[in-house]
Amino acid sequence: MSQAHIDSAIKKEYSAGFISAIESDTLPPGLDENVIRFISARKNEPQWLLDWRLEAYRGWLEMSEPTWAHVHYPPIDLQAISYYSSPKSIEDGPKSLEEVDPELLATYEKLGIPLHEQEMLAGVAVDAVFDSVSVATTFRAKLAEAGVIFCPISEAVREYPELVRKHLGTVVPRKDNYYAALNSAVFSDGSFVYIPRGVRCPMELSTYFRINEAKTGQFERTLIVADEGSHVSYLEGCTAPMRDENQLHAAVVELVALDGAQIKYSTVQNWYPGDAEGKGGIYNFVTKRGMAHRDAKISWTQVETGSAITWKYPSCILRGDNSVGEFYSVALTNNYQQADTGTKMIHLGKNTRSTIISKGISAGHSSNAYRGLVRMNPKADGARNYTQCDSLLIGDRCAAHTFPYIESRNPSAVIEHEATTSKVSDDQLYLCQQRGLDAEKAVSMIVNGFCKEVFKELPMEFAVEAGKLLEVSLEGSVG
Amino acid sequence: MFEFMQQSLDSAAQRAPAWLQDWLRDGRDRWEASTMPTRKTENWKYTSVQALREHFAPAAAGARLLRESDIDLPQLVGSRQVFINGHHSARLSDSELPDGVSLVRFGEASTAQAAHIRQYLGSAAGEAGTLFTALNDASLAEGVFVEIAAGHRVAQPLHLVWLTTNQGEAFSVNQRLLVLCGSDSSCAVVEQFAGVRDANKAFTNGVSELLLARGATLEHYRLHQEEGSDLHVGGVYARLAEQSTFNSFHLGLGSELKRIDVVVEHCGQGAHSEVNGVYLPRGSEHIDYHTCIEHRVPDCTSSETFRGIIADEARAVFNGRIHIHRDAQKTRAELSNKNLLTSTRAEVNTKPELEIYADDVQCAHGATVAQLNENALHYLRTRGVSRTEAQSMLSFGFINEVIDTVRNAALRDYLRAMLARRFARDPALTRPTA
Amino acid sequence: MLKIDNLHASVEGQDILNGLSLSVKPGEVHAIMGPNGSGKSTLGHVLAGRPGYTVTAGTVEFLGQDLLALDTEERARLGLFLAFQYPVEIPGVSNMEFMKAAVDAMRTQRGEEPLDAVSFMKLARETSKAVDLDPGFLKRGVNEGFSGGEKKRNELMQMMLLQPRLAIMDETDSGLDIDALQVVARGVNAMRSAQRSFVLVTHYQRLLNYIEPDHVHVLAGGRIARSGDKSLALELEAKGYAWLENEVA
Repeated sequence: MSQAHIDSAIKKEYSAGFISAIESDTLPPGLDENVIRFISARKNEPQWLLDWRLEAYRGWLEMSEPTWAHVHYPPIDLQAISYYSSPKSIEDGPKSLEEVDPELLATYEKLGIPLHEQEMLAGVAVDAVFDSVSVATTFRAKLAEAGVIFCPISEAVREYPELVRKHLGTVVPRKDNYYAALNSAVFSDGSFVYIPRGVRCPMELSTYFRINEAKTGQFERTLIVADEGSHVSYLEGCTAPMRDENQLHAAVVELVALDGAQIKYSTVQNWYPGDAEGKGGIYNFVTKRGMAHRDAKISWTQVETGSAITWKYPSCILRGDNSVGEFYSVALTNNYQQADTGTKMIHLGKNTRSTIISKGISAGHSSNAYRGLVRMNPKADGARNYTQCDSLLIGDRCAAHTFPYIESRNPSAVIEHEATTSKVSDDQLYLCQQRGLDAEKAVSMIVNGFCKEVFKELPMEFAVEAGKLLEVSLEGSVG
Repeated sequence: MFEFMQQSLDSAAQRAPAWLQDWLRDGRDRWEASTMPTRKTENWKYTSVQALREHFAPAAAGARLLRESDIDLPQLVGSRQVFINGHHSARLSDSELPDGVSLVRFGEASTAQAAHIRQYLGSAAGEAGTLFTALNDASLAEGVFVEIAAGHRVAQPLHLVWLTTNQGEAFSVNQRLLVLCGSDSSCAVVEQFAGVRDANKAFTNGVSELLLARGATLEHYRLHQEEGSDLHVGGVYARLAEQSTFNSFHLGLGSELKRIDVVVEHCGQGAHSEVNGVYLPRGSEHIDYHTCIEHRVPDCTSSETFRGIIADEARAVFNGRIHIHRDAQKTRAELSNKNLLTSTRAEVNTKPELEIYADDVQCAHGATVAQLNENALHYLRTRGVSRTEAQSMLSFGFINEVIDTVRNAALRDYLRAMLARRFARDPALTRPTA
Repeated sequence: MLKIDNLHASVEGQDILNGLSLSVKPGEVHAIMGPNGSGKSTLGHVLAGRPGYTVTAGTVEFLGQDLLALDTEERARLGLFLAFQYPVEIPGVSNMEFMKAAVDAMRTQRGEEPLDAVSFMKLARETSKAVDLDPGFLKRGVNEGFSGGEKKRNELMQMMLLQPRLAIMDETDSGLDIDALQVVARGVNAMRSAQRSFVLVTHYQRLLNYIEPDHVHVLAGGRIARSGDKSLALELEAKGYAWLENEVA
């Protein structure tokens, strides 16, 4: 394929890039204790949560930005970011979808996120986070019937203070890392889910995140608690508008799977990756972690195609005996995107099992790194891990890296790690082309095949979307 | 920086020949400008250098072996040079060298030889080295320069032995080897490090630079048999010109602290390297191999296999990096690291890394931490072999697969017998202990 | 020699043997035939003491001893040999080293001195030639990279070196060409004696053209569905297993 062909196709526009003109109630840039007090007051938070935030903030002041990831970016001026932004029309609180700003709804329509529950994504409850404040939640009634709580975390703090207080920060401690501490101090909103004992959540729960305001960092906090023997599947989709500046996103997701519970958390991340010259795009610095108690199972599936920089390691602490952790990931980088992503599997309990399947695809001038940790603690008798990391390179100006940390302190634990790196083979391409496919279609097909093991873990609607996303993200990268 | 080194460095500066003085000063500047690694230093994440916080004196000259039978050396047909506590022992060394091989000790270099050495010294370890390479530079009083003349195929191996003996107090030894393999030459170099008895409290900082010219073949062995309180922090730095072949084997028996950096740079097209090794720490020993295979140019191949058995409360670290530079197309690189833990208190940390900037490459790595294969164990038992013996055979087989790659038959037999004795003597290496 | 009474066994919680009884006298050759999944291979593994094969009921007496109470290697030393259908590859452990350890263990059991290395090597070389295996195989890792036929001949060589009292040949004929089959048959026939018994587990009658059995048993549903002389094998060959299964049902 010619260079011209590549170049023209690389100039594909970000299809989710548009800006909504909604009036916002935005705090001026800057961060100090007063900002935190303001956020807390605006949300009518109880004193304990304000104290909790302040404690995190004070811890954060002592910390420095992590530099170990294989990503490069100019220093972020955290004082230039506004820490609170809520769409103005929500001030009086919409009572139903009819009261939601029509432009906001239109925004979701453009993104293909249907808020009208009867439409398109039947069976999916959406708690949409527009910038920082949840504006609408659907299916509440049906979920309530099953005893499932699914609401903005700010509401949960008021309605279910004991539950929130009991679990918040137990999986990702306030001062876990630089960005988690920052999030703990300033988190704006996010989702809260509680599945009662023995309940199988009647539908897939879904949140779409979107960063809208210029220079507003987004700091969601999500907490999912699956009580003993319960099941839940949670979908997270992310998109952000197109801007020249980089926007920071530092979310925290905490999963608690009590004895015998199962949580499946799926993400399709399609935030603005910056333009073809690497200008703009989201800095996605996220901490996601789950705690699996006895016989519990936590499964992370992610398809990461967006963001200028991705820094995230959805992890499992396999605390209870026989607990299971899974991580299925597709990370695609193109143009000047950088990703440093992977997982940590911390085996504490006996006979704990973990599986890691990671597929990295690098194109253009991008850099894509898998970074993972598998740790077998002395008490993890009979624990098992299997890791497969494959990287695919498309073009000779991109990079693919694998950094697996394997730590074992138990002689009966078994760890197997394998990694390969290759490019789309000329033979594969030749075969597809000989059968009449153009090169781009052929590559997209081959890449989809490469990712199949991960896609099959996604809920149906997401799997289709993920496949399309890859195709769009790869356009023009063929060389 | 550590106080203890000052005395050692002063002493080295006094002993070093005039033509090395500026070299030492430069090394000392770099050493003093560095900071000691901590757990937060990525390359030292799993290895603490606390054990170095001893008061190390410079090694005394003229140390004698108690008995010659104290040393267990392979009887290789070839030329042997022995150093005791860093000082050359004429008594234990051969005076003859194979045809085509020249050997110069730094302290005895003529002006012309010194200039020749300076032309190559540091060309492999300079940029790739660690702060301990700077320390080595700063302490460079005795070094060995070996040159294989172009076109010479040297059949007999050159055997270099560094022994440490008990001097009553802690002491340090800086060893340096510079090997220049002329174009289309071939030879084998065996580096062997051993303590004559335990508790020598010797800290050896051994740096080897191996330079392979076009079409050269080097078989290289680095055997670390120091045990007990002997410490070793050192490295092997190889640079491969086009069409050269580098075969390297490492043996790491444990001791209180051992850290070996291996850097192989493929600098010319068509170069090939094979780096294999085994490590067997036990007791409360610590061993750390950091390997880095650099592919700077297209059309090179590399393969690496390291295996370890970690017993008792021992700890092993393996870091195997494959780095493929931009435009190093058509590279094929593979790495395998397998580990067996035989105790609930043993620990292994392994990190195979791929860092790739070219697309038309085939790279793979694998790492495992596992137990002995249950099916194999059963199969042996159905033939009447006891469980214990079967475990011993399988553990040894696990290591033996790597020993099989040793090309020199005499050395292979020596290693096999030596390790078999060790396995027979120490059941902790072969089966789970509480 | 061997007396199996009402043997029940399971693998991974699944019952495979359901009340199998069989008696083998010294010098006899028994053939056990049966369709896939009838429990043929399980029988061999249960007798050899493979981990994961659980005996849930029944008794097995071998040379007057309670076989099931013994460890795998104790059974072997008593003279029980299992030729594996899928011999295990053990890289790094040489065939020679392996067989020396096994032969020494046998000899020690019988109160004999271990063979010195030279005598053993001579014996091993001769034996490998007897099974048409290049002596070079002795130096290689156990079964490492051997072809299917080479693995089977290696099993046969081990049997000849260990001189068992009872040899169970688990589908040793499967996957063999006619030449290799004859090598196996020749080896077994040469070892037949009044003191030694064989149990040949096989799917096909073909092997029995070369090794004539005294008794033929058909296994179905984890127990012996029918026993007879060698004509039973021919009958099976002609009618297939379905005939028998229908009859049993």
